[in-house]
Amino acid sequence: MSATVRVNINGRAIEVPAGTLVTDAARVAEVHVPIFCSHAKLPPLGACRICVVEIGVPRLGPDRKPVFGPDGAPEIAWMPKVQTGCTTAVTDGMHVRTESPVAIQARKGVMEFLLVNHPLDCPVCDEGGECQLQDLAFAFGADFSRMSDAKRTFVSEDLGPIVKKEANRCIVCMRCVRYCDEVMGDDALTAHQRGVRTEISSFNRQPLECEQCGNCIEVCPVGALTALPYRFQARPWDLRQHITVCPYCSNGCSVRLGVRGMEILRARGTEYRGVNEEYLCVRGRFGYEFVNSADRLTSPLLRVGGALSPAGFDEASTYAAARLKEVAATHGPGAIAFLGGEKLNLEEQYLMQKLARAVLGTNHIDARTRFTAPVGGSAFLRATGGGSAALTFEDLVHAQEVLVLGEDLQGEAPFAQSVLVRGQHQFGLHLTVAHPRRVKLARAKFRGDWLAIQPGSELALIHALTRAALEAGPAPGTPPDVAAGLATLRGALAGPQSESEIGDQAAAIASAAGRLLKAERKAIVFGRAIAEHPEAPALLQAIENLGWATGALTRDRSSVMYCGPNSNSQGALDMGLTPDRLPGYIGVGDAAARQPFEQQWGGTLPSSNGLTAPEILEAAAQGKIRALWIAGDHWLRSAPDRALAEKALETCDLVIVSELFLTDTAKRAHVVFPAAAFAEKEGVVINSERRLQRAARALSPRRGAKADWEILQSVARALGANWSYRTPEDVFREITRLVPGFRGLSWAHLLPLGHQWTLPTPLPANLVAPSRAPAGARASAEQGLTLLSGGTLFLQGSLSYRGATLPKLAQAARAWLHPGEAERLGIEEGEAVEVAGPSGAFRVDAAIDDSVPPGSVFVPYAYAGVEINRLGVVPGAGARVRVTKIASARVGV
Amino acid sequence: MRGPLLFKDIDTPGLAAIATYRAGGGYEPLTSTLGAKSPDECIEIVKASGLRGRGGAGFPTGLKWSFVPKNSPKPKYLVCNADESEPGTFKDRELMEKNPHLLIEGMILSAYAFNANTGYIYLRGEFEYIQRILDSAIAEARAAGFLGDRVAGTGFRFELYTHLGAGAYICGEETALLSSLEGYRGQPRLKPPFPAVEGLYACPTVVNNTETLMNVPHILKHGAAWYRQWGTEKSPGTKILSVSGPVKKPGNYEVALGLPLRRLIEEQCGGMREGVKVKAVIPGGSSVPLLPASLLDTGLDYESMNAVGTYLGSGGVIVIDDRTCIVDAMYNVTRFYEHESCGKCTPCREGTYWMSEVFERLETGKGRPGDVDLLADVSDNILGKSFCALGDAAAMPVLGAIKHFREEFDHHVTHGRCLVNRRVEEIAAGAGAVGARA
Repeated sequence: MSATVRVNINGRAIEVPAGTLVTDAARVAEVHVPIFCSHAKLPPLGACRICVVEIGVPRLGPDRKPVFGPDGAPEIAWMPKVQTGCTTAVTDGMHVRTESPVAIQARKGVMEFLLVNHPLDCPVCDEGGECQLQDLAFAFGADFSRMSDAKRTFVSEDLGPIVKKEANRCIVCMRCVRYCDEVMGDDALTAHQRGVRTEISSFNRQPLECEQCGNCIEVCPVGALTALPYRFQARPWDLRQHITVCPYCSNGCSVRLGVRGMEILRARGTEYRGVNEEYLCVRGRFGYEFVNSADRLTSPLLRVGGALSPAGFDEASTYAAARLKEVAATHGPGAIAFLGGEKLNLEEQYLMQKLARAVLGTNHIDARTRFTAPVGGSAFLRATGGGSAALTFEDLVHAQEVLVLGEDLQGEAPFAQSVLVRGQHQFGLHLTVAHPRRVKLARAKFRGDWLAIQPGSELALIHALTRAALEAGPAPGTPPDVAAGLATLRGALAGPQSESEIGDQAAAIASAAGRLLKAERKAIVFGRAIAEHPEAPALLQAIENLGWATGALTRDRSSVMYCGPNSNSQGALDMGLTPDRLPGYIGVGDAAARQPFEQQWGGTLPSSNGLTAPEILEAAAQGKIRALWIAGDHWLRSAPDRALAEKALETCDLVIVSELFLTDTAKRAHVVFPAAAFAEKEGVVINSERRLQRAARALSPRRGAKADWEILQSVARALGANWSYRTPEDVFREITRLVPGFRGLSWAHLLPLGHQWTLPTPLPANLVAPSRAPAGARASAEQGLTLLSGGTLFLQGSLSYRGATLPKLAQAARAWLHPGEAERLGIEEGEAVEVAGPSGAFRVDAAIDDSVPPGSVFVPYAYAGVEINRLGVVPGAGARVRVTKIASARVGV
Repeated sequence: MRGPLLFKDIDTPGLAAIATYRAGGGYEPLTSTLGAKSPDECIEIVKASGLRGRGGAGFPTGLKWSFVPKNSPKPKYLVCNADESEPGTFKDRELMEKNPHLLIEGMILSAYAFNANTGYIYLRGEFEYIQRILDSAIAEARAAGFLGDRVAGTGFRFELYTHLGAGAYICGEETALLSSLEGYRGQPRLKPPFPAVEGLYACPTVVNNTETLMNVPHILKHGAAWYRQWGTEKSPGTKILSVSGPVKKPGNYEVALGLPLRRLIEEQCGGMREGVKVKAVIPGGSSVPLLPASLLDTGLDYESMNAVGTYLGSGGVIVIDDRTCIVDAMYNVTRFYEHESCGKCTPCREGTYWMSEVFERLETGKGRPGDVDLLADVSDNILGKSFCALGDAAAMPVLGAIKHFREEFDHHVTHGRCLVNRRVEEIAAGAGAVGARA
């Protein structure tokens, strides 16, 4: 902790860390110093001048010692001019006056200048009512205008489908331009002209070429940039505002929803709250639209005589319970499996596994429906430090070296990407991005290193990194037992090296490992690409090895982050939506540790590991699983093999689905429960920092819909369980009584920012050389292009395409090819192609982009018309598909 | 001989060629200093000479050099500010046009003093023809071994490049100049860090004016005491003054600092043109407050000018005669600053626009009671609140003019026209439009 200094602001003495800016110190002293251009995530600019204050420092005598006045207080030498508080760091003994005649006059003058060319069109401005200029003009400005001459005017522009620009309102604070460059890494905005004719726009005045995040709108302190989708929709005072947690990715951004009646009209960041503060990505800002969709389910559906027909809620739960009982009685509880739940709140996840284990007696439960390989329940926790204090985004921004392993964060964790962009831009963070495609963070402008991995060679890459680190290591501070384990590991990894798999990158890998090892503050980030990889179990073990070898994992602090595929993927792991772990990572076979659960829940719990998601898929298709409960998961899209999933749904005697929409999966169910959306229920979600955050309920559930915890409780009660939770908070209290790491927490503490949970005793390091999956699970020998897939910025999962804005931005699905590859195949931009695998094919338009490596095709998975799991291969592991041109056709899905 | 020092042989034919320059003793200071005097000694000599920056601020040059951190691992840069765009100033242009090698020699010596290995000459956009002169002089100097890896055969390495601005007055402000040189929008940066610590590409950088750098070879050759034969105690040396306005012989004059303004006009410039008298003088380029005729006996040096509330500035002496309307003149100046305001900070961006609008009303006879006070108030709200000195530069002349010539402003409000106006008189006399108003 840096030293503190004493400062006097308007007569109030405070102590703040040295280097604090006057504007921030004033906040501590509860003195309001207005700001416009200053922003917490941007370096001081000092342009708008609204924060002018009088500043004085102790007068020094000839002996360089402070001179004391007759009253014994040090004499203050006031600076002749007013100073900007946002650019001046406090020094010891500094005096600040914000309410002296000089300061007031200066501020009033600046305020008047800000309004000289401002149109004062507040009545028709979307910002009106929450406009900083309006507020500060009210607080500090004059009540009339001395400016009676013609104002300078500009023509308004639509900068693409999101941003509306009214430059007349602009006060040229440059926040939007700087945020776009330094935080988003997009550099899409610039200032044209100069002086009073300065105008913010895109470089060529064409639609913005960027992530369309709308953060420029968010940081705009006036109504110069407003959101087209929200334009003229509401006045802020007509909106109820509730802070909830974004349902899209694992970063867990706080979202402030503006609700009028039963409709969400907008989503905004939260300023000084939440991990993200003001930041939202395009999905966070516009992805809520599915909640308002008219296609939502509004009644439970029961399959009667082959067709789904509406039913009452109690009728549906009674029916579901009776059918579950029937299956359990006929085939045993081992014929029942639970899938999904990564998007549910923590309390609901807890109840889901409680229903499975305590009420029905099955451990066949796995939230990770997209996984292609059976991954143990604790693998992710071990890869990220075994439950020691988790890496935060704040750590990430100040890291010196960050390795992004196989993930395109733009599509999967946009906030984490912005954190890295800002770290690179402002704090000298160095990036190493291992990814087959030249993804955004791998671009030259971020000055990192790009390790272009061959799909299928991920394990070889991580091993090579680990070997290089072990050769240069050990990392300082490695505990003796870990050091011993690493020594053994070094021997085990020293075997035949798969040089061909890492190609000519050995030197780049060695230097990346060296940088990681050397950096004092470092991080490794991975996500879906590793988790859903056919070699996931080996990869996770390899990441654990790498973490310890590079010193990213230590006993008390982890520097490895897992950005899971869904908003509460972490919660699903923590709450035991895995076949081998109870909540809190307690092994189902550990009788002693299981005992408190049995005591609390009543009865004995199944003690052998259940089936993982890919195993449940197989078993259900073979008729070994007879009943399936799928919660909040469009399984036919998420399962790695659609044909097999369809067969499984057909084979099962009972399929229960809780969903927002009548998806293809729901259409094949016997019981469909209409579920409440994220904004319609309260509960806790856990983000990739392992931070518990409480999401508020912004509006009542759609008529007929119920939150999943109510659905689960209703069925459990119909099955004879004596559950009596009145609110999710009751469930949370039970969690805090039972689950290690959650003890002592309460809902009251979990408003943004919430609490990062840790295991009281972190899992010990497990350092072994993982064995490779059988070759059959890896690259096929087939001819064709290597299939790459992944999320895209605009669409993710099965909810994003239910709105209006995101699909518009996403445009049609595309199969992306390298220009050379396209030329070789005779395919031109926009032409229709067929992408065919061993068991299926789909048609899509081609697009050309040199970020895709030659010899491969990139097909994003979230588009409605593109069903990669029909192909019969798993993308990302080197599987190949055939891409052929379809004569004179466009698909345009 | 037009002046004692920089202008001593400025009109020698062919001086821009290295042979002529060397024939007159050029590059002798360089060869006699490098190796013979240590860099620190050079800084000390320049400090002792009392040389002050000739670009406008008058900051002691040796002191500025001494701020460059000696142990920094970063490369150091010397940048010559040749973005001469202060209205009324045209000295560097003539110096570079006629004697480019003196600038090159001055830059090499200055760079040697604080160990910079790279220099840039940042020229205003209109100086393209000077860039050609400088480039060929630089090529000559390189061929002669004065630039490159072994300057004059010593171990000192120095490379020099010219760079043309794109036509923004603000790029004469040193940090805006550096931004522009780096390829960014030409806007001033926050200080601190000062350029001496973090300047060009965030490396230690000294930015010196052209004329300042050209004094250096003379000082290092002859010593501080010799240099102090001219000027005053606090303003030693000579200064080139660019005199414009209705004097008989406008032009550049090199004089010893401290020369009274009246003597400059009457002796050097041959007095005022027939039929006009001095009404006011802007002594240091359009950015400084004007002096009324009653203060003509003030010495042209930094401290005397400060004492009467104005600045020596860049030495652009603009003489305003008694038949020029001061409101017209100030409107002209204000429009310049409104046009050149970079737009970064609010007071300058909006204030200069507003001032311009009020002036336009006054000029077109639509002035309203209270407009003069409004103008003064707007100027005062800019003064001291803007990000860089451009805002002050816009405010100060107008405040000075209102202070000294309030009646001319009031006349515009009450009568809707100028109190005095040579142009109107000349038009009435059928002489055509010639005069102060641009």
